[in-house]
Order: sequence, then C-alpha cells, then structure tokens
Amino acid sequence: MAWEKRGTEGSLVTWYDNMEVEAYVYTAGPVGEAFIKGLNDKKILGSRCPKCGRVYVPARMYCEYCFIKTEDTLVEVKGRAYIYTYTTVYKDHYGNTLQTPLHIGLIKFEGVTGGLLAYIDGKPEIGKEVEIVSYGIPLKVKVK
Amino acid sequence: MSGMKPNIYFNKRVAVVGAGLTLFRRRIWETPQEMSWEAARKALDEAGLELKDIDCVVIGSAPDAFDGIHMKGEYLSHGAGGIRKMVSRVFVGGATGVMTPIAGWYHVASGLCSKVLVVAEEKMSPGRPHPQAVFKYIWDPITEKPLNPNLIWIFAMEMHRYMKAYNIKKEDIALVSVKNKNNAIDNPYAQIPAKITVEDVLKSEVLVWPVQLLDISPVSDGAAAMVLVGEDQARQLTDTPVWIEGVGWTLDSTGWPGRDLAYPRYLEHAARMAYKMAGIERPYKEIDVVEPYDPFDYKELHHLEGLMIAKRGEAPKLLKEGVFDRNGDIPSSPSGGLLGVGNPIAAAGLMKTISIYWQLKGTAGKMQVKKPVHTGVAQAWGDLMQASTVIVMRN
Repeated sequence: MAWEKRGTEGSLVTWYDNMEVEAYVYTAGPVGEAFIKGLNDKKILGSRCPKCGRVYVPARMYCEYCFIKTEDTLVEVKGRAYIYTYTTVYKDHYGNTLQTPLHIGLIKFEGVTGGLLAYIDGKPEIGKEVEIVSYGIPLKVKVK
Repeated sequence: MSGMKPNIYFNKRVAVVGAGLTLFRRRIWETPQEMSWEAARKALDEAGLELKDIDCVVIGSAPDAFDGIHMKGEYLSHGAGGIRKMVSRVFVGGATGVMTPIAGWYHVASGLCSKVLVVAEEKMSPGRPHPQAVFKYIWDPITEKPLNPNLIWIFAMEMHRYMKAYNIKKEDIALVSVKNKNNAIDNPYAQIPAKITVEDVLKSEVLVWPVQLLDISPVSDGAAAMVLVGEDQARQLTDTPVWIEGVGWTLDSTGWPGRDLAYPRYLEHAARMAYKMAGIERPYKEIDVVEPYDPFDYKELHHLEGLMIAKRGEAPKLLKEGVFDRNGDIPSSPSGGLLGVGNPIAAAGLMKTISIYWQLKGTAGKMQVKKPVHTGVAQAWGDLMQASTVIVMRN
C-alpha cells in the first residue's frame, strides 16, 4: 500500500541513513596515465593495435577487436578534430536554468577509433572542425 | 534433502581448457577493464584460442560499489572480450566467483554455446575509507542496521558460536592461516604469502574478537578467467581436458538470526546438489583435493564440514593430523587460498576453481599436491552466511 495512506513520514517507523562509500580513488593505469600526461603536454595521444592498426583515443592497453596488447609507445594524433555530435544544455542537474546555455559534444579525430567529450565554444555544427583550446578532461574546444 | 531435485540431464559434457590470473595485490594500477583483459588473454592463450572463437562471455563481479562503477558487468565486458557477443553477468555475493564458471557451464551444457569465456574481476582499492563500507547496508534496514554492524563483527560472532558448539580452540583454527599462507609461498600470484606460526596468529592484532589480523584475508584487487568448451571441442584442443562433473548452488534465508551459525547448512545443500550430479556418495573418500572458501581461517574448517569432507566439529582434528596439508590425504587450499593469495571477491572464487583445474591438469607447478588427483572441488560463499556455490571437476 502507499504509505502516505497510513501515516506521515514522521509518524511511521523509519530509519534515515546515507548509503554511499565516503569517496573513491580511481587509477588510470599505465596507459591511461601516459594519455593524461600527453594532454598536459597539449597532445592527443592514442594507442595503436599492432595487428589491425586501429588507434584508440582515449588510449588503452588492449585492442578490443584483436584482443591483444596495444603498442607500448603511444602515437600522437594529428588528424583533424571535428564535432561528431553535440547537444545544448539549458538546465543544471538540479533543474536550475543556466545563465548561458552550454554546448557539449563528442569530438572525434580523423583516423582514430573513439573520441572525447568536450565543452564547445562558438556555434557548434555536426562535422565542423574544432580547435582545442584547453587540453584536459573534459576537453575544451572552439569551433573553427 | 527435501525439495531439492536438480535437473541432472544435460545436453553436453563441459571441459575447462584454459585459465589465467592477474597478480592479486592490495592496489593494482591498471583499470578494471585492463585487469579483466589480462586474465582473459592469458586464459585464451592457455586454451590456444582467439577471441573470435568464443561464442559467449560470462562475467562475475561482486557489488558495483567496490570498483565504484555502476553497471560494472557492462563496463567490464569490454575488457572481458564481451563486445558484440552474448554477455551476462552473474552476482551472488561472495559466492559469485564459483557461480561464474557454473553459469559458463550451463551455457555449454545446455547446448546454447560451444566455447565460453568466463571472467571474474574485483577491484576493492578505490573505496574510501575502506571497502567494508559497501557492506554497511546488507542488513535489515530497520531491525539490524541501526546498530551499525559490519561483516567482520557478524563473522566474529559466527566464529565464536562455532568454537563454543564444538569446543574448538583459537590455536586449532589458527593452523588454517599457517597452512594457507605457507602454501601461498609457492603461488606466483599470491599477495600475502608468509611463513608464520600459530603463535604469530595468536599474537596478531585483535580486530573483533575472536578475529585477529592473521585470521582474516586481505583486501585485494585481481582478475581471473577460464575457457569452457563442449566435449566435441575439448578433444581437439587438448589431450588433458578437465571436466566439470557437478555444480550446485543454494541461497539460505537472510534471516540469519534464526539459523544454526555453527554449521553452514547453506553449503550442505549446494554440495549435495553438486555431488549428486557428479555421482559422489562419500565425499571424504572420493574427493582428492579441495579449495573451500577461506576469507577467514575458521571458515575453511566450517566449509570442509559443510562439504561433508569432515564431520561436524571435526575439521580441526583432521587439520591437526595433517589431512589437509598439501602432501596430506585431502589437500585443502593448495593454492594458498584467500588467506594467502588474496581476496578480490569474485576473482578469488574463480582463482579457487582455477587452482583445482590446474591440480587436475597437473600443471599447478610448485603448488601441485603430492598425491595423484582425480576429483577436485572448489567452493565459494557469500551474503549473510547464506549463499554457496560448489563445483566438482575430474580429469
């Protein structure tokens, strides 16, 4: 039965608690760390599969297709960065209206498998080339 | 056994043809996906197979809250080789590690798949201040939670009840920890192998009496994987397949205050199901090597009794006589168990299954038991002393 028919929150037997673990510490692993260090050096690094040649961004330790280890040395991605898709956010997670609507998008790189989430400055359009204005997680890009 | 009629008629015999483990460590740097991949890759290599040969993937992992990634099965499937394949994740608490190969088994035994990759992973290092916090809410929220028990408190009470019921001394139980940590010295994947004495256990820090630091397994990160195939495939892949001959699993009530805490009835049910399927009538005579779940030292004894390898309350006596030593009559936890190898929950149970597989294949290296072995059993346990999973294998 719906408990509202039986009593109010204060009159029923209830127990208030907070279920969360206090905090989490996630590690990126050796390849993930090299990738993040690449961002700090203003570089997009990818991991290449020695068998199929796919280059993964973000870089990771193995190729999901060939299921083998990717090459130890990451390669710098030089291909054109473009907006694969994007959306415009008008409210925050609590339902408050944002003063300036926020463009977020999935940025892909030519010749690369994968992509990175990014904040987009300017007027986004699918397929349009972008310039990376801030290397980091998340990435910040500007429409060219 | 009333009300338990497992269906023992299946379509195909199932063999294990490969297995792989990562190191078990307190904190592994690689991501959970990468850990899964490493174990899965090794298992495929041992089987002589590639991912394209695999029809389906079964993933085992305990609560999402350990790794701190919700929908962990879906997340792990990438590293577990599950992309664009039939994938499922099983979860039965701490019993998951043995449930994972059981689920793999029924994918093949049913005739649905011919080659299955089974992967279990747990990364317990991300949670702060301690992954024990994950267990804060497994209790009845109204009648138990307000006291804020943690699992170790409850197991300490279970241990105490077991000791009282059969007049078992702390030093008798400590021998399990001595044996397992010593066995782990020969296990290249082990996190805390050690040469210790009963005295060391009794002098270690008291955590929650009667549980002391050396009575308990550590917090660990790790992954394990196994390849299961049908009989027709097994003969082509190897001259030494190891057959899964019996599986069993049961869940007892969450009403643990109403149960006998001195005897793991939840396990007896699961063991009877597996033994019936495998045709085992006298477990203490027919089982050559066993990996009972040992997150605590008393738990190995408890489980040896639930597996009916020892009579109730008599496992400590057999332990003292050396029956469960690696060169004893029924070697128990020859891998080093959770007490010596580590306890990344789901991966720990699969590690135990893999230990039996390697023993039966004769490839356990320095862990290999002295006597010739034909029948082996691995077991895991979880939840509120509720769930148990049992697997019987033969060579």
